[in-house]
Amino acid sequence: MSRVSTRASLLRVVVVSVFVLVLLILASLAIGAGDVTPGRVLSLLLGADDSEAWFVVGGLRWPRTLLAICVGAGLGVAGVALQTATRNPLAEPGLLGVSAGASFAVVLAIQFGASAATVGPWVAVAGAFLGCMLVLATTRIGGVGEDPVRLVLAGAAFSGILTSISTLILLRDQRSADEIRFWIIGALGGRPPESLAWGLAGLMLGLLVLLPAIRPLAALMLGEQVARGLGHHPQWTRLLALVSVAILVGTATAVAGPIAFIGLVVPFVARRLVGPDLRRALVASLLLGPCVVLLADVLSRLAVRPYELPVGVVTAFIGAPVLIAVVRGHRLARL
Amino acid sequence: MSETKLARITTPAGYGLLSLGPWRVLVHLRAGFVVIVLLLLLVGTSAVALASGTAQLSPGIALAAVFGHAEPSQVFLVQALRLPRLLAGLLTGCALGVAGCLLQTLARNRLATPGVIGLDDGATAFAVASIVAIPTSLAPSALALTGAATAAALAFGLSGGAGARGYRFIVVGIGVGALFGALTNLMLARTDIDSANHAYPWTVGTLNARPESAVWLLAVGLLICLPLAKYVARSLNVMRFSDAVAQGLGIRLPRVRILTLLLAVVLTALAVAVAGPVGLIALAAPELARHTTGHRGLPVFTAGLAGALLMTAADWVGRTWFAPIEIPVGVVVAVVGGPYLLWIVLRQSSRYSV
Repeated sequence: MSRVSTRASLLRVVVVSVFVLVLLILASLAIGAGDVTPGRVLSLLLGADDSEAWFVVGGLRWPRTLLAICVGAGLGVAGVALQTATRNPLAEPGLLGVSAGASFAVVLAIQFGASAATVGPWVAVAGAFLGCMLVLATTRIGGVGEDPVRLVLAGAAFSGILTSISTLILLRDQRSADEIRFWIIGALGGRPPESLAWGLAGLMLGLLVLLPAIRPLAALMLGEQVARGLGHHPQWTRLLALVSVAILVGTATAVAGPIAFIGLVVPFVARRLVGPDLRRALVASLLLGPCVVLLADVLSRLAVRPYELPVGVVTAFIGAPVLIAVVRGHRLARL
Repeated sequence: MSETKLARITTPAGYGLLSLGPWRVLVHLRAGFVVIVLLLLLVGTSAVALASGTAQLSPGIALAAVFGHAEPSQVFLVQALRLPRLLAGLLTGCALGVAGCLLQTLARNRLATPGVIGLDDGATAFAVASIVAIPTSLAPSALALTGAATAAALAFGLSGGAGARGYRFIVVGIGVGALFGALTNLMLARTDIDSANHAYPWTVGTLNARPESAVWLLAVGLLICLPLAKYVARSLNVMRFSDAVAQGLGIRLPRVRILTLLLAVVLTALAVAVAGPVGLIALAAPELARHTTGHRGLPVFTAGLAGALLMTAADWVGRTWFAPIEIPVGVVVAVVGGPYLLWIVLRQSSRYSV
């Protein structure tokens, strides 16, 4: 494929995904469990005076929509960065235990007296960073770095250990269990108001940290030797990328709970649409991530009305088939 | 004539000839020794498990009380309260051990245990459905069976019919497991807090207050499945070389595969219906059996014994070490078995297959 046409395809993808994103934002504002119907929201947007609808849309649905956009962008970009840094198309923060590390840190913090509503995002970031370091260490063990599936299996085992230790802690402490029961599934509704600011700050910081690593990462995709030959330091590049992943995933987990599979679905779709180039994939993921999370959130409100599903459940339903598709795909066929 | 022929049989090294009248059986000495040791350990652990609790008995009295030779209060304590739980543990452990052994050998991969490829999750999801979501009280066992069968069909079907080979199958299984896990969460989130709290220990795997009918069903299932497992073990053992060799020796591969998978599904589902997902038993028990026996055959019974032993020991630990809080056996197994699973994944790949 020539350079011009991929550029054109990136432009097309950007335009289409922005359009879809706007549609989804409107849907997210219009659809909900209460009796503020899409019709009332529409008339509100057209200038009608409706204080109840204004409160529901402006006070509840709009922050939630923005939070979904932040979380989606962060997780999508983190997925691309992690997959590139580990050279593994299956690397997903949730599957590799990064989210589990963040959740575990939060559980520990709550156990030691913090409240689920006030626990700071840096706790989750620290946990996510620890998870990232473990992933990096694991890829150095002989043969694991070359084998995508073994890394995922190791991540699943690691997540299992952390989850069971969390369960152990929660069983001994009823207060923590009550505080964390809903948080641990992953949900966007009913979050404290400052979480939006945290999410946004984390997203910005993570992207800033990732920015200088993009070029070396792209070189690293061609192989460690090539990257060295081009004057990059593979170890530092990976470290920088993983710090960025830790910030992105940690804040996303702190504000919305562990939401699995976004980091797998979004890069997968992005690469399908714009090709393997890292920068294009990052731009596309930045737009597609919010789309996927918003879509999952809207579905979570529609699926079992008048109740609401945790968004993590919906993303698992979207993500598991993609995981299966990736494993069945040609790139892993040699396994 | 036949006398002289039999007299000329020499026992191979490492085997002993057991003769009882006209029957003669070759016994692998080390494997036999391991079975005896495991049985002794099992009796010891059972006695300790029966004896310990809020009212502490001595193991001897506990064993006597099982047969009714003790004070009436002790007999009641042991027979009515502790024995059912012990039996549930023994049976589920045995079933999971055998299921794990069969599935690992079928997939030629020690990671391919029912828990890893999503059978546990499928069975749990459907069993939780019978508790919280569906008002009709279908037996959890029946629904767990449906769930495990669905998960197995999905995992095998979606991995592209590659004869259950390699990691693709396992990762597909992880995906299927994630789907069913999400389903379980969905049902738990929808129901009221009392039902959710009621179902929560159940989803992590516990032997506390198990339904008696499910235990009976598991016992019957084991009685039927164990001989069948021993029967397919011979063919499976040959299939470990290669499909071509097995075919050349006259083994009908599709039939053996289906039968093995069926056995693994039934055993897992019945065990999950009793104890919930305690999947790592199915990983650790066959490993223990293989390492200790050092036997080239398929240690189906030994794996069952090892599973029962591990399950009983883990339940005893969870019940007594943190008293008065009871740690579900599933959590104990996950905390201890998780690092072990990690170690299997991370060590050199050459020693990886079964």
